[in-house]
Amino acid sequence: MMLWDLWKKGFDAWEDATARYLEAVLKTSAVLVPSGALLSAILKLKAERERMTAQLWGALGLPSRRDQERMLHLLNQLQSRITDLELTMQQQRGRGTEPERMLENRSN
Amino acid sequence: MTQSIASNDSKRIWNLLGLPFRKKPLVGVSPSDVVHHENKWRLIRYRSRPEGLAFRTPVLLVPSLINRHYVLDLMPGKSLAEYLVAQGHDVFVLDWGTPENEDRYLTFDDICDRYLGRALRLTSAYSERNQAHVLGYCMGGILTAIHTAARPGRVASLVQLAAPVRFHDDGLLSAWMRTPSFDVDTMIAAYGNVPWQLMQSAFHLLRPTLSLSKAVGLLDRAWNDEFLDGFFALETWGNDNVSLPGEFFRRFARMYRDDDLVRNAMTLGGDPVHLADIRCPFLAVTFEHDNIVPWRSAAEVMTLISSEDKQHIHLPGGHVGAVVSKSAARGLWPQISGFWAQRDR
Repeated sequence: MMLWDLWKKGFDAWEDATARYLEAVLKTSAVLVPSGALLSAILKLKAERERMTAQLWGALGLPSRRDQERMLHLLNQLQSRITDLELTMQQQRGRGTEPERMLENRSN
Repeated sequence: MTQSIASNDSKRIWNLLGLPFRKKPLVGVSPSDVVHHENKWRLIRYRSRPEGLAFRTPVLLVPSLINRHYVLDLMPGKSLAEYLVAQGHDVFVLDWGTPENEDRYLTFDDICDRYLGRALRLTSAYSERNQAHVLGYCMGGILTAIHTAARPGRVASLVQLAAPVRFHDDGLLSAWMRTPSFDVDTMIAAYGNVPWQLMQSAFHLLRPTLSLSKAVGLLDRAWNDEFLDGFFALETWGNDNVSLPGEFFRRFARMYRDDDLVRNAMTLGGDPVHLADIRCPFLAVTFEHDNIVPWRSAAEVMTLISSEDKQHIHLPGGHVGAVVSKSAARGLWPQISGFWAQRDR
């Protein structure tokens, strides 16, 4: 057991020193700039592929994935606005929201 | 003593051999009800203790968007929400849910103004003063600070848990986000939402030796069943990440790169956001060994707000461990509960 404790102490010291060293390395511009550029290049390729696929669907007169996503998002926004309206109407009618009604009932 | 060490050793071996068959820990199990849901997000209210509430002002917990909300209700005995309920608080948590492809168009204003605003409005409606205490954790803290600065009306008090406000710090995340060759717009064009896999890889790189260190820690304390349950609960949570809405991230990244919060260059729904407009009772909690949010970048908020009633607690520990550990149950949680208890009306 003492052997394990000794090894563990050594490991902790090594881990801490290595983590600090790697953090310093990962922060240098020599690592960051090329990594960022490589990632961006891969992403650009993927974005271009997405754009071309969307164009192909468009040419066939079909909605692209992006079109469908936009439509679903608009539906979500619409639902959110309806919720806004419902809550405003409840307040204007003096009924309050569900919890407000609960509070009202409690005080009555 | 020798007998106890031998017993621990045999338990360690037994537990290690049984790891593949170990029951998965139950996470996020405090009794609760969904009081509102909209798009993917939900407002959850924890059921109060049998003897009823002890405080009149409800509490809204706002976690980060990139992790699951149940870090604040990890498992029985390691749950901030459970502790607060036991103290008599009326506790709500905002579960941001899982964004789908169409949510790439959700903007910063949609999330920080509309959704957070609605959650706050619904929570505060449960109090007679029409306000709620708000706690923001990590990225959730950035959102709560911005929301409180622009829309202070319903915030009774604000607790910022490891939430950065100065983004130009000496941390790795800050260095990566500010790398000019990293093109955020291209990433959003390519993926729509920021994939959780990409974010998880980035977080792993914050401490590349962490996986090895965790494995050694597991070997070291495998004899302790309580430790193993906590370890696997935290691992379950740590590997249960969600993607980030693309448009939201575009604005978030710009705020990060330009340090918009401290420069007063941020807006919410068209209104300027000045942290100096935060005047409510305020508590900032920072952690000494936080390698995700360097504590100085979170503590900076103390110099930027106008609250006269403000406190800063600086604790040992890391970004997650210090919030869900046993020491949190003895130190951090009672301090947070006490802060709200003193300001209850």
